[in-house]
Amino acid sequence: MIKLIEKIEGEAKLNFNFKDNKIDFVDIEFMSTRNIENILKGKSAFDALVINPRVCGICGHAHLIATVEALESCYDNLQISNKAKSLRELTLNFELIQNHFKWFYLTMMPLFGHKQEVLKATYPSQLMGKAIALFGGQYPHTSYAVVGGVVCDITEMDIIKLQHYIEQTVKFVEDNLIKMESESFSTCKSVDNILKYEGDLPDILRQIKKEELLAYGKSYGRFISFGENSYFKKGKSLKTRVNNNIFIEHAKESETATSFAKNVSYKDKYYEVGPLARAMVNKNKLILDAHRKYGDSIFSRILARVSEISQLLKHSKKLIQKLDLNEPSYIEPCIDIKQFSSSGYSAVEAARGTLIHKVELENGFIKNYEIITPTQWNLSGGTREKQGVSQKAMIGLYDIKMAELVFKTFDVCSVCTTH
Amino acid sequence: MENKALFEKLSSRLDELSNLPKLDDEKSISRLIEEKGFSRREFMGWAGAMTSMLMLPASFTPLVAKAAEMADRLPLVWLHMAECTGCSESLLRTATPSIDSLIFDYISLEYHETIMSAAGWQAEHNLESAMERYKGKYILMVEGGIPHGESDFYLTIGAHGKTGEKIAREASENAAAIFAIGTCSSFGGVQAAYPNPTNATALSNITNKSVINVPGCPPSESNIVGTLLHFILYGTLPALDAYNRPKWAYGLRIHDACERRGRFDAGEFVEQFGDDGAKNGYCLYKVGCKGPYTFNNCSKQRFNQGTSWPVQAGHGCMGCSEPDFWDKMGIVHEPLGNRLYHTVFGGLGSDATADKIGVGILTVTAVGIAAHAAISLIKKPKE
Ligand code: SF4
Ligand code: SF4
Repeated sequence: MIKLIEKIEGEAKLNFNFKDNKIDFVDIEFMSTRNIENILKGKSAFDALVINPRVCGICGHAHLIATVEALESCYDNLQISNKAKSLRELTLNFELIQNHFKWFYLTMMPLFGHKQEVLKATYPSQLMGKAIALFGGQYPHTSYAVVGGVVCDITEMDIIKLQHYIEQTVKFVEDNLIKMESESFSTCKSVDNILKYEGDLPDILRQIKKEELLAYGKSYGRFISFGENSYFKKGKSLKTRVNNNIFIEHAKESETATSFAKNVSYKDKYYEVGPLARAMVNKNKLILDAHRKYGDSIFSRILARVSEISQLLKHSKKLIQKLDLNEPSYIEPCIDIKQFSSSGYSAVEAARGTLIHKVELENGFIKNYEIITPTQWNLSGGTREKQGVSQKAMIGLYDIKMAELVFKTFDVCSVCTTH
Repeated sequence: MENKALFEKLSSRLDELSNLPKLDDEKSISRLIEEKGFSRREFMGWAGAMTSMLMLPASFTPLVAKAAEMADRLPLVWLHMAECTGCSESLLRTATPSIDSLIFDYISLEYHETIMSAAGWQAEHNLESAMERYKGKYILMVEGGIPHGESDFYLTIGAHGKTGEKIAREASENAAAIFAIGTCSSFGGVQAAYPNPTNATALSNITNKSVINVPGCPPSESNIVGTLLHFILYGTLPALDAYNRPKWAYGLRIHDACERRGRFDAGEFVEQFGDDGAKNGYCLYKVGCKGPYTFNNCSKQRFNQGTSWPVQAGHGCMGCSEPDFWDKMGIVHEPLGNRLYHTVFGGLGSDATADKIGVGILTVTAVGIAAHAAISLIKKPKE
């Protein structure tokens, strides 16, 4: 039996196949596309800096950073100041943080039968949006990162404002999300400890336990993460065995007949990306504990995403402390991009997982551009024999509501997937 | 005198609205304000700012406040077409202290895919029933370009697998007012950039009804909320420019109200990002600012609750509220000026495409720019 459909954010369709009252296969279809990769072809290299953030208004900043880094990787000896690197990393962190808030309050809470509290989602995400705007001029869709650095020249005043936004966000976390010190939350090692606290997050986690949903949403326990910076490490993790030697060349896209989105695999295997994958690769103690107890279930996935908020806030504070405002924001590349033909790629961690950009330039024009988005990894629509990560996680469930919950713990986004 | 007549007109419009039933009896703006910890004074302060944005005299503030209170009388349907959801994101970031977001919590948002919790059949049902129930009364806001003609299947939505074009057309049919939010629905947007593989087009091209364009990529939250308030206040369409953009928001060029304008006039330009000029806030024209060709109020309203805007951060305007800015405004970090650059039109210079940009004022601007900016000095030669 095929049961139609539950639509997700944007336009994707799930066809549920039941056997003996259990889901035995789910077809995933994306029914729209904008063909951005074709639009990029033939355009001047720098145009990608304007067009790509528009691939997605939700993770537009990750696309900007991925674009600028892909273009920069085409150069041999490009210099980027530490200041510019840190500023880019900070704004990317802020994008991740605000995204996690919105996912938790707009998408997750209602699925657990709670009232959707729009203002709880918007308040902290506004703060983080402002923090990005301080450097980038606006959010979404900033263009402040350019090949060679960033364009903003921030002052001590900006730093003070920034610290204020961060403090306010920390306060929101402590007043609402989990009523403990955000710092302690970010270094907490035990799930049982988290469950003792008050707050929206422990409430949901306790509900998962109480309603006996702990076994839901398990997939292969195979994780991958390519984006490297001063916080995230690159690597793959099979259960808890981590291997840091992974290569982007092995990440391959393949077309599917039923969908506008392409599948992505690493050495022919489907991997989960996102906060849970990052935490596993980073060997985060709290998430390792969750994984040991409950595997790659909805419990671990939700905890990994939400706890990343506090970790990134803490790490951002550290980055700010180390900022040297006297360094240059921008160092002019020694070759004009118009004069060369080369190719390059980048990988950054977006809210939902690894985002990869690959570019080929010819005399400064884009000959080819490929974008692999996080949701493509998690939502690859495999066959019955070889299922994608989220497909596998929905198998065996009895009802569509539960499947929807499982599906949405991957924080699917069809907007950038159907670029 | 003129003002008095207008004041009376708007008052009676609001009185009329107040006779309409509230869509949700439970909610009232004063209760919401109180619940969220704002004072009436803060609310009035917000209304004052909105009043000046809508180019009304300060004495109209109580009317604008009342308009906000009436916001729950008009149901709102928000459709997503081919887009990146950036406009919704912009709206979701409305002001803190979040009186704008209060309005947003308060309006009767009958249908919005991203924010509403319903999905699938339920979502589609919500849309259909809202359109039926509020026939001729709802405000339609559309985000996203519309894959059109032969290839409208590039966007199929919902349980019944309807195409975006069909849904947008149906929703336009019985709307009281139609707003194209963002450059995508106003002009086709990024997906309509050359070679426009999905045949994306503006909302105004698929309906015969008048569409008010609120472009920008994304438009600022205040332009979105302002558009809504304007309609509540007037009940009619605002004064529009040649591209159907409300004049209260898109009446001036970025360049006209830019904080770096004095530098421009003095001939002080950033020659290269990161140089001393950049540190001292010189004009960004030579590193690609398209402010002289772009109509929008970014410099006044700014983004993210007035935090900043691109030019303040040191990046030139790229003309995101103009039609087809991707293709017509040239390479992003180079001035439009008289340079020859490779465009999708096959290497024509900007002058050849200039007549397609702006509202004919360009020539005047171009003269001004020629007088101030020595364009040949743009870039030092590199090896
Ligand atoms: S060219 Fe741009 S930066 Fe310079 S004054 Fe005009 S709008 Fe401002
Ligand atoms: S400054 Fe220009 S590019 Fe930036 S948002 Fe405003 S109109 Fe768009």
